[in-house]
Amino acid sequence: MLQTQELQVNIGPQHPSTHGVFRMLVTVDGETVVDLKPVFGYLHRNHEQLAEANTYLQNMPYTDRLDYFNSMANNHAYAMAVERLAGIEVPERAEYIRVLMVELTRILNHASAVGFMINDMGAWQTPLAFGMREREKILDLFEMASGARLMCNYFRFGGVARDLPPEFIPNLRELLRALPAYIDELERLLRDNEILLQRAVGIGILPPEVALSYGVSGPVLRGSGIPYDVRKAEPYSVYDRFDFDIPVGKVGDVYDRFLVRIEEMRQSKRIIEQVLEQLPDAKGGHINPKARQNVRPPVGDAYARIESPKGELGFYLVSDGSAKPYRYKVRAPSFINLTPLADMCRGYKVADIVVILGSIDIVMGEVDR
Amino acid sequence: MYDMLAALINGTLGWSWPEWALHLLSYILIVTIVLVVAPLQMLFLTYYERRVIARMQDRIGPNRVGPEGIWQPIADGVKMFTKEDIVPQAADRIVHFLAPCVVVAPTVLMFAVVPWGPGMTPVDLPTGMLFFFAISSISAVGLMMAGWASNNKFSLLGAMRAVAQMVSYEIPAVLSLIAIVMIVGSLSLNEIIAYQSGLLISNRDLAGIPDLGLGWFVFTPVGFVAFIAFFIAALAEGERTPFDIPEADSEIVAGYMTEYSGMKFGLFYLAQYVLNFLLCAITAILFFGGWQGPGVNWLYEQGITPANPTGNGLFNVLAGVLGVFYFLLKTYFFFFVMVWLRGAFPRLRIDQLMDFGWKFLIPLTLANLFSAALWVAFIRWGPAEGMLITVGWSPVLRWLAAFVVTLAINLGVYLWLTRVYAASQAERRRAELEELSATV
Repeated sequence: MLQTQELQVNIGPQHPSTHGVFRMLVTVDGETVVDLKPVFGYLHRNHEQLAEANTYLQNMPYTDRLDYFNSMANNHAYAMAVERLAGIEVPERAEYIRVLMVELTRILNHASAVGFMINDMGAWQTPLAFGMREREKILDLFEMASGARLMCNYFRFGGVARDLPPEFIPNLRELLRALPAYIDELERLLRDNEILLQRAVGIGILPPEVALSYGVSGPVLRGSGIPYDVRKAEPYSVYDRFDFDIPVGKVGDVYDRFLVRIEEMRQSKRIIEQVLEQLPDAKGGHINPKARQNVRPPVGDAYARIESPKGELGFYLVSDGSAKPYRYKVRAPSFINLTPLADMCRGYKVADIVVILGSIDIVMGEVDR
Repeated sequence: MYDMLAALINGTLGWSWPEWALHLLSYILIVTIVLVVAPLQMLFLTYYERRVIARMQDRIGPNRVGPEGIWQPIADGVKMFTKEDIVPQAADRIVHFLAPCVVVAPTVLMFAVVPWGPGMTPVDLPTGMLFFFAISSISAVGLMMAGWASNNKFSLLGAMRAVAQMVSYEIPAVLSLIAIVMIVGSLSLNEIIAYQSGLLISNRDLAGIPDLGLGWFVFTPVGFVAFIAFFIAALAEGERTPFDIPEADSEIVAGYMTEYSGMKFGLFYLAQYVLNFLLCAITAILFFGGWQGPGVNWLYEQGITPANPTGNGLFNVLAGVLGVFYFLLKTYFFFFVMVWLRGAFPRLRIDQLMDFGWKFLIPLTLANLFSAALWVAFIRWGPAEGMLITVGWSPVLRWLAAFVVTLAINLGVYLWLTRVYAASQAERRRAELEELSATV
């Protein structure tokens, strides 16, 4: 019998496909993963402590930097937390604009997540370029509305910073017309490619009970077959007025997670169409004129959570009555979805690790904070 | 090539050179051409690949250095030369230094037997194909040296993968080539090309068909299966997507090249692109007639050949230009296919790759060998000594019978194998899942 030895390999922190500075201490037996230990903290920026030194409004642009793909969603969760804390009303038009922005964010996040995953499988940038194509158009819309493409900083307490510019709606309608064909194209890429199926089906299975015990949320949880979505479970904003479905997977493998993402893009498109139908006219105002931006909330605490594209994103704020939060805590979906990584990878091959990691869809800015 | 050069030297300089001087001069010329052409090809290939991929991704690609960025590879080369050469402290310095040389040398040697055009083979070995594949497998040693000497786990994993992949894919590659060798009855690349003159199906065996240089092997059932099997194996051997597993950048950084920098890295790069070019070239030679094409043979026969020493040298040049054009056209087409695949596909996993090689390609090529044997039995054995039933058949009838029989066998085996392979894959996946759920 040949003497073999298990090999410990550090994947990361400087590695092309760890989606940032993330380290996985992998024990391999040949090509098979025996154990995996995720190590993070390389991108720690003291986000939560920093927030306690800033006023409430000063923190808004910082939330952009958490999950830099979805700055709009982060803004939304934070704005909701502060509004609950200070008891600020949001006009209806602002609520619709918020939902519109967050659903656009969901589409762009899922498009690039699919692109990045296929990239991790070894395709040479082309699927990623495809995924980025529509993302650019959505970023153009963000730029029209907020003036920035990535770090939008668009939400304010009691509404949004600016009303939608006149050219926004026509551009959005054009995008919506092009979107179904684009989503179908991404799906065909996934369903019709034999190599992709070989790499995705049956890989990185996360059983529903394991997913629940880790507190996983978002597409990863729904891929495991649990129809949990904060938008339905605890409707916030105006989500109770829209008609949409929650797609779920069957097995909980990489393939299911990505089918869920693609279906969610379709559902987001449905929501956006309903927003356009129901959007109140500009008389309603995009922001509550009575809402002060330099808030001094009364003593107390508040928790607000939304369904961000990556999962359940929550902000917990404690106020001591001053202009700065006493405690500021982020429940980041990327971080919590990352915890079952070892369970998902054990027994698969080295090459599968990066695919599984890609299918979780993490952003290190949110994991490490 | 020696004959042509010798004739040209004698012809242009007007007096008869001594034999030894002619030899020396023409071989120095040949070696120079090979050593210049190989890196030049590589430079152009990198540019070509980047431009094509950029088009696929809706980008422009390199376009700053020179017109349309054509000097970009030169700039890259200068950068490679001026970069610091870093050797890891724990590396085995000597082996680390030798590995790139061991990888590059065989690829340049392989250039020596490539027939570029009619009478334009640098070294026309009677066993050219054997030489080609024997030499190409040496680079696996170099890869292992690189992976081991770097003393890096990614390098080691990459080298292990590279060697496993190259060794197992050489078998289907060579098995598919043996089918061609059986039909031609020679290992010489020039013989194989010469056999593919004529029209449509490899029919130097049929008299009275105009010679358009289109009798490529790919048009026969045997040649077609061999071509598909060989090209897939070539992708694996050249470490191209979807088989670029040894240097999978999203998994093991750069595989065995991880610890190399500067020109040593450049040499690996060079070796890889030259190998890819050669694999495309050999595909063109074996299955698509190499430099064969309409007009080349006719032009060549008018020129100076061993059979016709009084011909006009101009026709040699014309035939050469046309032949090289056809050859490069085919070769670059296959390289384009490689780039296209790279732009479109993700990569397989190493175990899936091994499965595919051993369980699908090898049985397929073995069945193809059987077909090739039948083809030979039907066509090459004349009416007198042919198989019992074919005695007395006309050449056309024998040719048709061979075509139908080999087509039926290859198609049947292919359909049967796809089903068996799919079933075995499903079974394996199920077993893996069971094992996995047992451990969890």
